[in-house]
Amino acid sequence: MTAGTASILPAPEAPGPKSGATGWKVHAIVWPVLALMLLLLFNLLFTPGFFSIEVRGGRLFGSLIDILNRGTPVLVLSMGMTLVIATGGIDLSVGAVMALAGATAACLISRPEDSPLHLFDVHGSLPLVLLISLAVALLAGVFNGILVAGLRVQPIVATLILMVAGRGAAQLITNGQIPSFEHPGFEFIGGGFLLGLPFPFTIAVAIVLLMLLLVRGTALGLLVEAVGNNPIAARLTGINAAALKLTCYVVSALLAGVAGLIVTSDIKAADVSNTGQYLELDAILAAAIGGTALAGGRFSLLGSAVGALVIQTLTTTILARGVAPELTLVIKALVVIALCLFQSAKARELAFRLVARRAQ
Amino acid sequence: MNSHHFLNRLLISAGVGLALCSVSFAQEAKKPVVGFAQVGAESGWRTANTKSMRGEAEKRGIDLKFVDAQQKQENQIKAVRSFIAQKVDVIVLAPVVETGFEPVLREAKAAGIPVILSDRRAKVSDDSLYVTFIGSDFIEEGKRAGEWLVKKTDGKAVIVELQGTTGSAPANDRKKGFADAIAAHPEMKIIKSQTGDFTRAKGKEVMEAFLKSPEGKSITVLYAHNDDMALGAIQAIEAAGLQPGKDIIIVSIDGVKGAFEAMVAGKLNCTVECNPLIGPQVFDIVEKVVKGEKVPKRTPVAEGVYDESQAKEALPTRQY
Amino acid sequence: MTLATVPQPSLGRSLIPSRQKLPLLATCMVLLVLYVTACLRYRQPAFFNLQVAINLLGDNAFLGIAAIGLTFVIILGGIDLSVGAVIGCSSMFIAKMVEEHAWHPAAAIAVALLSGTCLGLLHGLLIHLFALPAFLVTLGGLFFCRGLGLLISRESIAISHPIYVSLSSWSISLPFHSSLPVVAIMFVLLLVLATIAAAYTPLGRYVYAIGGNEQSALLMGLPVARTKVIVYAFSGACAALAGVAATIFMSSGNALTGAGLELDAIAAVVVGGTLLSGGVGGPIGTFIGILIFGVIQSAIAFEGSLSSWWARIAVGGLLLVFILLQKLLQPRDHQT
Repeated sequence: MTAGTASILPAPEAPGPKSGATGWKVHAIVWPVLALMLLLLFNLLFTPGFFSIEVRGGRLFGSLIDILNRGTPVLVLSMGMTLVIATGGIDLSVGAVMALAGATAACLISRPEDSPLHLFDVHGSLPLVLLISLAVALLAGVFNGILVAGLRVQPIVATLILMVAGRGAAQLITNGQIPSFEHPGFEFIGGGFLLGLPFPFTIAVAIVLLMLLLVRGTALGLLVEAVGNNPIAARLTGINAAALKLTCYVVSALLAGVAGLIVTSDIKAADVSNTGQYLELDAILAAAIGGTALAGGRFSLLGSAVGALVIQTLTTTILARGVAPELTLVIKALVVIALCLFQSAKARELAFRLVARRAQ
Repeated sequence: MNSHHFLNRLLISAGVGLALCSVSFAQEAKKPVVGFAQVGAESGWRTANTKSMRGEAEKRGIDLKFVDAQQKQENQIKAVRSFIAQKVDVIVLAPVVETGFEPVLREAKAAGIPVILSDRRAKVSDDSLYVTFIGSDFIEEGKRAGEWLVKKTDGKAVIVELQGTTGSAPANDRKKGFADAIAAHPEMKIIKSQTGDFTRAKGKEVMEAFLKSPEGKSITVLYAHNDDMALGAIQAIEAAGLQPGKDIIIVSIDGVKGAFEAMVAGKLNCTVECNPLIGPQVFDIVEKVVKGEKVPKRTPVAEGVYDESQAKEALPTRQY
Repeated sequence: MTLATVPQPSLGRSLIPSRQKLPLLATCMVLLVLYVTACLRYRQPAFFNLQVAINLLGDNAFLGIAAIGLTFVIILGGIDLSVGAVIGCSSMFIAKMVEEHAWHPAAAIAVALLSGTCLGLLHGLLIHLFALPAFLVTLGGLFFCRGLGLLISRESIAISHPIYVSLSSWSISLPFHSSLPVVAIMFVLLLVLATIAAAYTPLGRYVYAIGGNEQSALLMGLPVARTKVIVYAFSGACAALAGVAATIFMSSGNALTGAGLELDAIAAVVVGGTLLSGGVGGPIGTFIGILIFGVIQSAIAFEGSLSSWWARIAVGGLLLVFILLQKLLQPRDHQT
């Protein structure tokens, strides 16, 4: 330790997650995009048929389309998760909220006799189904928001409550069954095609655009970053941090509701015990890959979207290449670590130095 | 810190505590008490199993202590320990995995509480640690699926396999049993085998990937370790413009209602039944054990293999 | 360098740094309320029973051991998601080596502990040297260990080595027909060691200082890099030790053991009063956090009439009640 020469000035490579948006010479989104390109390049070279896209029955059909389709739930979740993380929080309940919204929608449509929702008859009205399911998700978000922003419970514990109880409530709604349904309108959400592209992808694009407009078009993004970077300073400048946080948790839960509806509609059933399980980790991973600081502050919605696509590309690659299930996780681990190193300015610097030394 | 303030808060919390315990119920005496350590509520099959057990206990006036382990072995061990501490009369255990229950089963034996294994076997070095095992044989199920397929395809098939959760007992055994059954037929080949985690969504996603692989067009058979994955895969096959049940023959395991509906619609060819409705059989044994009667070490469960031809007839009788 | 021995007047004088005393006291009170409530509610059979209390220790031992290691990482301001997977992987490794390769259990345990420590060391080095987010690095560790465990063997392996059989059945007899199993002893011993390390060693003080403010710690000349790497290595070692405890607890190795345990462990640490943002907390709080989750789970087993979904809702509900009580008992200026 060269403590004697330690300078009072801020360290040039400020360590620690709270360092904010310093040290980024190129735009941060370059790295996740590059990672995505690398993965795709690998497939172009080594996975035959990965890039082939056919038209079957008026729909595009191919692995790339699968990535867009299957990547949607995590992509949608990651939008909300990014905002929550930016305020210095975390939302573990998104998977459970997905199950909750899905269970509500499925039971409203199919009305199984042992479901408590049996009494409600919405006559298969799609707007009502969507409205009620998303309202349930919204309530979940308000619950999280009140605990975190109002009662100042640590976000990880606050959202853990709903992570555990929410899935229980979803099972309560379906009475532990997997209610399946037939409803062409609702099925379109997760299984339909628009202009040859899967409809979930359209939803994802719309949500990303909407969120970008909301966050970067208004001062919301700035305020969120301020709260995440330095809550005390934010309070002193008169930002209502509580209201802001509440909003972020509500947005996160609403988007989780949307993701839940997509998944439920896609499999035409509400698989409450499995819907969205462990997706909270994927959503956080997407945000982290996209360059959002996990301790709060700096965030990038577009980065998270790319991050979600990176994760799905990896999954689809593994499936397309027929990797043994036991190996899947090891490969995922190596890719995650490689991605980390790839994004680290320090690691890149070291690599450049090594390459330069060898070149001499 | 104002100590007066603190005392106030303490009193409030004590009040909440008292309010919570005032809802307690009085225990009736002399009903046999049975502790049931269930795996979880991860599938429709499991829920049907739980329902069968709880319904039967209620019918017979048995006090059933039910604990859902949420697919975690450590939770299940805690549950069995708790049953021992509660001095229940009989413990029914549906082991999450086959190993790892020996120490806690020893404790149960030392406490003089008989244990009935249901649904899944537990590997123990000493058979006297449990009274009987009642449930399905996963290897046998995989074998039956394989044998049905051999007959159906005359020993010629290009097979893709959707495995259950990697490392879980049903996935291991159903894979093994199936592989054994087709081993003698060199023209039956499993070209792809991936895990679909026993879920519909994963089954669909993995099947999509199978169909898009270069060998995708040659697939003639899908073998799924459970019905849920098969039901998901059917959607993927349809989305690829193929006819499930015709272009690709599908065989799966469990025999849930949805599978029968799919068979009636001609989208699924065969399901090997794995019967969850074993409540009556289990409590027959429980009552015998309480009376001190001897029971055989293995209690088989009535199970069949159903294909399309029998589906329509059987569908109305399916309870799960 | 003389700067390395910076005096920390407020820390280290008492067993628990004073700033944390009140929240910890509040947590203890809530545990007491919860326990007494359960005892009053379940009288026949009795919840108030020494063996039920000891089961809380024994049944949660490997969760607790992993959580103690995790506590230091969280005080440091980091996170370790790999603990559950390390438990699964090390238990699988030990079972495989002892049963199929005829290793002596002591050798297998030693190698498992060493590997766990090395993995933690690697986490720490990656996190510190390349300034990577701990969440991502240890998530990578989670995937890697879970996969490695499954690669060792997909099927769980029962351990029948005589040493293991005697370890898992050996216990200290206590009054009231109860006994203390080996894993509970391991848990309590580690807790005592960790508490002493946190309060009385320079390393412990560095951890609090770095977690409180890394920049200041750096400027004060504390060995930030070394401390960080050591803490992650310690967490890896604890997770491997938890894997050893799991093999003793269950006489078997299973690659899926401890799936999702990282969240339970984090929850126990945080409920025990440790702040995720770092700098505040301690092993004793974690111990109480573990007991709180244990009491909730036992109470539900004693209730025995809840369906799967009501049990989940009850766990969530009790957690909520508990957190609200904790907030109520805690003075305002200690809340975050």
